[in-house]
Amino acid sequence: MTEQALELKPVPTRILTDKDNIVDVIESYAKADIGPNDVVSVAESVVAITQGRFVRPEEIQPSFNARILCRFIPKEGSLASAYGMQTAMNAEGTWRVTWALFVGMLGKLIGRRGLFYELAGEQAALIDDVTGTMPPFDKCLVFGPADPNGVAEAIKQRLGCYGAVVADVNDLKRAAVLGATQGLVPKEVAQILINNPFGNASQKTPIVIIKNYGLAAQKATAQ
Amino acid sequence: MEFLIILLVVVLGAAIGVWLYIAKQGDAHFTFLVDQRTDFTLTAITTDTATFSTTVPFVNNGTQDGTLMDVFPRHFLPYEQFDAVDTDSRLTLDTANRSDGYWEAYIVPVSTGGSIILTVKFTAKSGDIKTALKDMVDMPIDIIYQVVARSLWYLAKERLIMTADEIHKVLAAGEKAVARSEEQI
Repeated sequence: MTEQALELKPVPTRILTDKDNIVDVIESYAKADIGPNDVVSVAESVVAITQGRFVRPEEIQPSFNARILCRFIPKEGSLASAYGMQTAMNAEGTWRVTWALFVGMLGKLIGRRGLFYELAGEQAALIDDVTGTMPPFDKCLVFGPADPNGVAEAIKQRLGCYGAVVADVNDLKRAAVLGATQGLVPKEVAQILINNPFGNASQKTPIVIIKNYGLAAQKATAQ
Repeated sequence: MEFLIILLVVVLGAAIGVWLYIAKQGDAHFTFLVDQRTDFTLTAITTDTATFSTTVPFVNNGTQDGTLMDVFPRHFLPYEQFDAVDTDSRLTLDTANRSDGYWEAYIVPVSTGGSIILTVKFTAKSGDIKTALKDMVDMPIDIIYQVVARSLWYLAKERLIMTADEIHKVLAAGEKAVARSEEQI
């Protein structure tokens, strides 16, 4: 992929809520800028919010199990509070999360880190604790999006673009593609988004158009 | 039987170990240092309104990071006690400097803190604000805060008193400052 040919174009929007449909929003804010060789990327937390996948701590009753297990998560983790842990248990199952934590702790003893998030299920790694998203959702826990591949396909179908992805990117140089249209290589797109073109939450740019991706892909294939 | 006793001892030992671990780990603990607040200052005045503000420090002196999910003021000025003004109070994190009264959930690392700016605006129900505030009484204001940390969320509050004396002094100082600036002109 010749990244020099690519251009990343962030698209500002208003604050999106569960009253919005993400495909309608992209059409409304970005349709004029999206061409047949472009890939549309959208931030996963915003997709989740438009799907209504968030919950206030006040609406959660943490179990005894959640209150104990959260104590074994490092303080920086989203599951370090009883509410984060209970949310993960609700999403992935109490016993799965409990088992994953137990195995994860054993893994740490032998120097194998990250086992917990590998075993606890995708949502355990995607849940954002309170403060993780911008107001007014800063007071909510936000799940990962549902059916990210389906969301990406719906965007491509409506906008006629080369492809679409739902991406999880942050300022710590971590980028992952959670859902993508067929034909795209998720790791390749994640690498393009590694510098977080979505910016921080207050910049309100949940959509980034990767211009000329299709042309670059064709060029790379020809070479 | 011997096996059951050993199992019981192991389970009991593990439970005590977890309890000790949690007890040692502790949790966040917030205090709003209302006794260290700055004096109220006059930040704006018009014919019928006067706005005062003060800065109140807070600390997380617990043993874990904690989140201030929400912080808001509650003033107590019932009309039975004083009926000459309408009162509006709001606050913001000093570094956020918001004017909409919204508190953005804020993580406070252990052993650190910050400050809030509390703003109180009086609007005269009729006539001039200085006349309206002439017989003002001491007004308690609660800083109410919601904490989310390792344990279950909770609400707590600390009270400060905005005294009538303070209001009168600040108003008088404000008048003198205005007079001085008019003389210079």
